[in-house]
Amino acid sequence: MTAARREGRLGWLFIGPAFLHLLVFALIPIGYSFVLSLYRTRMIQPERAFAGIDNYTFALGEESFRNALWNSTRYALWSVPLGIVVALAVAILVNQKLRGVTLFRTLYYLPNISSGVAIAMIWIYIYLPETGMINTGLHWLGITNKTDFLSQVEWAMPAVVFMSIFTGLGPRMVLFLAGLVGIPPELYEAAALDGATGWRAFWKITLPMLVPTTFFVLVTSTISALQIFTPIYMMTKGGPEESTDVVGYHIYTEAWVNFNTGLAAAKSFVLLAAIVVISLIQFRLMKNQLQGYSAA
Amino acid sequence: MRLWMGLSAMMLLGCACAPRSSTPSQEVLRVANWGGVSDDSDFAKVQQGLYEEFERRNPGVKVIIEGVPGGEYVSKMMLAHIAGATPDILTLDASSSALFMNTGMLRDLNTYAEHDPEFKLSDFYPNILDIARRGKNLYAIPNDFTPMVVYYNKRMFDAAKAPYPRAGWTFDDFRAAAKKLTIPGKQYGFAFTNWFPGWIMFLWNNGGDCVNPDFTQASGYLDSAKNAQTLAFLRDMVDVDKSAPSLSQTAAAGVDLFANGQAAMTVSGHWSMVGYSVAPKGPDGKPRIVLADLGVAPMPSNIGKSVTVMYESGYAITNRAKHPDLAWKFIKFMTSHYARQKLNKTGIAVDARIDVSTERAKDPLEAMFLPIIPTARPPYGTHIEGFEMVETQAQNAMDAVLKNGRDPQAALTKAARRVDQELAKRQIPGVAPK
Repeated sequence: MTAARREGRLGWLFIGPAFLHLLVFALIPIGYSFVLSLYRTRMIQPERAFAGIDNYTFALGEESFRNALWNSTRYALWSVPLGIVVALAVAILVNQKLRGVTLFRTLYYLPNISSGVAIAMIWIYIYLPETGMINTGLHWLGITNKTDFLSQVEWAMPAVVFMSIFTGLGPRMVLFLAGLVGIPPELYEAAALDGATGWRAFWKITLPMLVPTTFFVLVTSTISALQIFTPIYMMTKGGPEESTDVVGYHIYTEAWVNFNTGLAAAKSFVLLAAIVVISLIQFRLMKNQLQGYSAA
Repeated sequence: MRLWMGLSAMMLLGCACAPRSSTPSQEVLRVANWGGVSDDSDFAKVQQGLYEEFERRNPGVKVIIEGVPGGEYVSKMMLAHIAGATPDILTLDASSSALFMNTGMLRDLNTYAEHDPEFKLSDFYPNILDIARRGKNLYAIPNDFTPMVVYYNKRMFDAAKAPYPRAGWTFDDFRAAAKKLTIPGKQYGFAFTNWFPGWIMFLWNNGGDCVNPDFTQASGYLDSAKNAQTLAFLRDMVDVDKSAPSLSQTAAAGVDLFANGQAAMTVSGHWSMVGYSVAPKGPDGKPRIVLADLGVAPMPSNIGKSVTVMYESGYAITNRAKHPDLAWKFIKFMTSHYARQKLNKTGIAVDARIDVSTERAKDPLEAMFLPIIPTARPPYGTHIEGFEMVETQAQNAMDAVLKNGRDPQAALTKAARRVDQELAKRQIPGVAPK
């Protein structure tokens, strides 16, 4: 056995467990889901019929699925930019050389090591119409009419978006913080010599230098925004009037409540396609901006 | 509810670990129910006591209760069935029973019932037994059931000098009573919640329905002019008369307004009595409502004959049960006169056993239920698989009307269209419709 072959074999041994895990819990199920998506099949009926792309064309024409796609788009369009702006602001704040700043970094990151269900529970309480924190706060400010945020059509989606800004804060903040730390201080020193400080330095140095980080955060945040499930499942169940019925929750209902397995599988692949296309567009748009940087 | 889910999850975890700790000679009987988290209610205590008694009477047997949160029960059980991991016994809720009965998940219990000299099917109300029948097959032995009724607070009616509701009352009578019993800022006439199983009877009693007789279409039924009228009627009680709270007000209150002495009437099942018997206490230290305050009336009706729905639960044995004979023994014990009279005393429902419910009817409050029982029909979920989908759409329509000021007709038309789309999805080409 040559050294190269032995090394190759050793390599396989190393990645073996991880690959096996990937195979059993991701690749095989994905492949099987694709097969399912080509059939009219229901989990609770033994019969199935080959349907080709019928499930896909049906899904794309279906009122409720289109509504779910639109809801996910709305959610992503609001939560991603807001999430990025807030995370950047917080990262800049905790990048100050202050005593106890690590405590704040930890506090901001804390929600991310908690369970999504527990966090959603806390937010349910925060949004409670009578005793919730927000309504109580508004009451102090003189706004006395109580709003049932999670069950009013005009408020439910903004409420979920607002929550996501905080729950998704941790990882974004850490990434921006890493980006900020990575900016060579000489740049600021040189700029200061030329008289550029404060906002000017932020616009001309900080932001451009954070482009790769921002791009990475943008892509990962968009993907996770399109996959949002837990808060919806816990807080609104897609309601009121399907105004928060996002794709992830819609697919769950299709598969596990209505048992329309084939159709649910097809809808999952539509979601996958949407995520891939959006990510490709983001890559294309950012390509020019990224010239001169190594991959983020 | 959320806390309940958490507790259930913890309990499930407990269940998952429990069999490992049992000795090899032990037979483990797995019983699934919804909720099932033991609380401090008498019902939970009595139930737990009976499980333990069954274990004592059958040495070497361990009863494991697998509680699943109500909203997840159907999916979880179906998944367990597909994965070949169903418990031995399934508590069957009539409202979702069609799915379980039609998918070959359950055993025919006739074979057990007919060959067991200690068991008599004639002990049970025949129409209640029929709920779990398909052709000759019998899929569950009923525990108990309840018609949906109007509860009213006699003390409040007396204070308002209003006559008590009685059989034969109409929607207008109901609305007038609710109006008369409303004290702005203090008391509502009628506590309404948007839960379709709790208001489908209003549709029926105004001459409407939600699906066609062969359960294949909602358009032309759910969106009928009669139903739009019913929704408008309920909306007007909230918006015009202010005799019923808005949905936000109900949510904001966070309590059962009727049990809390803040509403004079409500619509619910017998199970509510468990809560009414331990109603919250007022500032004077007295319960806000006591059973002696309660009156029970049939649903108001515009069609000359009041109709209501009957919710029921029973025990079924799964086809993949590991210990079917032991499961039968358990069902026989839990539906025996001995066990049922203990459970029924807690006020949970009307008993499916004729002897037990006859004994209980000596209580005047219990007796009020008896004339309503014959007017009750089984829920649609006994025939329509996944009827929850219709419930969701109907609730969405009611939300749209009550919370967002939509036109009842438009909201119902949308709901009916959605239901039809869902029903169409279930058809597999080349396979006869179910």
